[in-house]
Amino acid sequence: MKGRRFDVLAAVMLLALLLAALHMISAAVQRSEDLGQWFVPLLLFTVVGLVLLFGLIGWNLWQLLRDYRRRVAGSRLSARLTALFLVLAFVPVSVVYFYSIRFLSSGIDSWFDLQVDSAMEDALTLSKVSLDLHKSERLRLSKTLLDSIEDTSQTAMALNINDLRQASGAIEMTLFTTHGKVIALSHQNPDILLPTPPDSGMVQQVVAGEDYIGIATDADGNLIIRSLVLDDKQRGIVLQAMYAVPASLSELSANVQDAYETYRTRAYMRSQIKFSFALSLSLVLVLGLFAAAWAAVFTARRLVQPISDIAEGTRAVAEGDYDKQLPLPRVEDELGFLVASFNAMTRRIARARNALEENRRKLQTQHNYLETVLGGLSTGVMALDADGRIQTANRAADQILGLPVAELEGKDLRVLSMRNESLEPFVERTLEGIRRGLREGRAEITLYRGSGRQVLLCRHSSLDTGEPAGLGHVIVFDDVTELMKAQRDAAWGEVARRLAHEIKNPLTPIQLSAERLRHKYLKSMPAKDAEVLDRATHTIVQQVEAMKAMVNDFSDYAKPSKLQVKPVDIDALLAEVMTLYEGAPQHMVLDAQTNGLLVEADPVRLRQVLHNLIKNGLESAGANGTISVSSRSGTEEGSDFVEITVCDDGPGFDPGLLGQVFEPYVTNKTKGTGLGLAIVKRIVAEHGGIVSADNQAEGGGRVVFRLPAARRRPAANDEPAPRQQGRSS
Amino acid sequence: MTRVARILTAVLLFCLPFTLAAEGVEFRRIALTLSEDGRILLDADIGYDLNETVSEALENGVPLTFETHVQMRRAEAWIWESDVVEHRLRTVLRYRPLSGMYELRNLQGNERLAFATRDAALRTLGKIVAMPVIDRAALELDEDYLVRIMVQLDIESLPLPMRPIAYIKGDWSISSEPWEWRLRP
Repeated sequence: MKGRRFDVLAAVMLLALLLAALHMISAAVQRSEDLGQWFVPLLLFTVVGLVLLFGLIGWNLWQLLRDYRRRVAGSRLSARLTALFLVLAFVPVSVVYFYSIRFLSSGIDSWFDLQVDSAMEDALTLSKVSLDLHKSERLRLSKTLLDSIEDTSQTAMALNINDLRQASGAIEMTLFTTHGKVIALSHQNPDILLPTPPDSGMVQQVVAGEDYIGIATDADGNLIIRSLVLDDKQRGIVLQAMYAVPASLSELSANVQDAYETYRTRAYMRSQIKFSFALSLSLVLVLGLFAAAWAAVFTARRLVQPISDIAEGTRAVAEGDYDKQLPLPRVEDELGFLVASFNAMTRRIARARNALEENRRKLQTQHNYLETVLGGLSTGVMALDADGRIQTANRAADQILGLPVAELEGKDLRVLSMRNESLEPFVERTLEGIRRGLREGRAEITLYRGSGRQVLLCRHSSLDTGEPAGLGHVIVFDDVTELMKAQRDAAWGEVARRLAHEIKNPLTPIQLSAERLRHKYLKSMPAKDAEVLDRATHTIVQQVEAMKAMVNDFSDYAKPSKLQVKPVDIDALLAEVMTLYEGAPQHMVLDAQTNGLLVEADPVRLRQVLHNLIKNGLESAGANGTISVSSRSGTEEGSDFVEITVCDDGPGFDPGLLGQVFEPYVTNKTKGTGLGLAIVKRIVAEHGGIVSADNQAEGGGRVVFRLPAARRRPAANDEPAPRQQGRSS
Repeated sequence: MTRVARILTAVLLFCLPFTLAAEGVEFRRIALTLSEDGRILLDADIGYDLNETVSEALENGVPLTFETHVQMRRAEAWIWESDVVEHRLRTVLRYRPLSGMYELRNLQGNERLAFATRDAALRTLGKIVAMPVIDRAALELDEDYLVRIMVQLDIESLPLPMRPIAYIKGDWSISSEPWEWRLRP
């Protein structure tokens, strides 16, 4: 800024100096006698100053051109304004200059025309003629005077000449020899002792016999007549006489001569005068043009500066720099208002940006908070859009569904069932809820996963996202498998425990009482009554035993088990159990296909499971029935399992009870406690397996249980030898 | 012309692109003699040869001022040391149309001489007879002095309109080569 101010000051000072120089040149032209000596220095100074100014303007224009090429903001407008100002200044000044030069040229030419020329010549000739008359008179007088000198001696001549000079009124009178030696001198000023020497040409002319008469000017500029005459008496002397021209004639003639000289000189200098005037005018023009050019560049820059600033600022804002503030122009005009408005705008944008950033940050914090909370939940949470596409899901959802749900963002919910068929009930129930447009809903969904049965407690609610696309949905689901099982187990355990406690306690006194009756009265009673008593007490004791057995079963069920887990070869276990039933009337078929896969299990408990299932089958199949026991291995969801199936060809399960056959005390048999399958389920569950029951298409019930496989049997025994065992009764 | 203007002119002229050729004036004879009364006198015979442009200007009434610059300074003088002697003899030559004569006017003594021919006027102009330069007594006897004489047509005395042209056109640069002589009094 300071540098620019200095530039302006320097340029203005230079302009002022040049203007002063031009003014002085003009003054020097008008008063050449006083200031003429300054003319050329001023001219040179002006030229040098103009060259400097030209350099300054050239530098400014070059900068403008450079900015224009670099497409600097505002340079185009600057260039256009500069060009406009230059044209506006150049055209009128050039026109004025052109016509001024023409007028000047014709004006100077008009000073010198033929009439004035001839008039001047005539005036001079007239003066000459007038003087010539006077001269011829003086020449004659001089000759007469010389003739009147009679003396021959130089001394006498010297004495005589003073009288002659005074008589003739001459200023100076000198007698020379023809060799130029002064013989006598008389001057009206007695102090002057030396004569005015004639030049050699005059002397030669006189010696040659031709008298000389001429006009000269004295020291004061007065005209004098000078005559040189040769002595006719052959004395070898020459008389030089100087006569004053009459004052009036002298003055007039001198005036004419001065005027003529001036005119002649001016006429001769016509081209030079024109050149001088043109030069001065051109310098003024160039100074004016340069000043205009500099002012154009300067003004354009100054005018465009706020606009350039705004352009720069706009670019900065476009690039995201909202803190840009522009310098306010000192002049309060519309541009200043524009700049102030721009500054206000950027301030507001910056404030809005900051607020937005703050909100975004808060939102992010809330989002993170929510994500942390959701992530920490053991409940699965999944958000869907109106079309059933997955929007988000928490970690628990991944764990419960066994799929990276969060990675399936934006995909249809059906992709879950495509990835894992066992999730189909969950997907279908959820989509059905969405289809039906339910705002809220609850459902308990049971999934049959590779790892076993899984019960999900799902809650679905619509989510008003406020988007035109419609409602979204939130699915919240809990894996309540363990909870439900634990609740049921706890409930049945309690029932069993109470039953055992409440029933078992009176059984022993009943049994003891019956035995005491029998012991006390059987022998003493008549045979008929004794038979009745024997039968009755026998029945009591038998039924009490049966009830004890039943209560023990309940007790077993309720009793928390302690598993003695070890690797068990299922196929071997099956074969071992099946041998116990070799004596049974039914047809027993074993198809062991686990290929030696081991399970971590308590073999005693597992035997109980198999016994319970086989006994059930035997009871259901009847005497000629067939019991098939088979095993196989498989892989689901990356984990190996062993599946054991026990089928019979009996009437199968009552379809109405099919869903609850594993509940305690649910049975369609006339015998039994109804705890067999419940115990099966419990033991299977204790081993981390699942059990299911259904009816075969060709008839007969089927119970399938699956246990997670531990590892394979050691290689030595790893010979898949499917064991087929069959026996028909 | 004031001294400042003269210096400024000299400085600015030094910057001009053209060179001032020494022509039109030659020294035919120069003599420095010691008079009986102990003064150093200068005698010179200088030949002037006016070219056509200058002659035409003279015939048209333009007065020509010739300046003979006589300068004497110590031979070992520093540049800022002033001259021991500096004489400027300025004489105007002009043509008088009324008398048809050439007039020489000595600007020092305001003495006028009229000549029927230009040659006679120029001859007289070129004659310097027994011009006293300095008293010998005023000089250091064991010091060397440099006498420098130069003659030139004074352009600054020309009529104003002619000056720019005269500075630019070589025809108007009428001057002698500077004549220098080492002197021990």
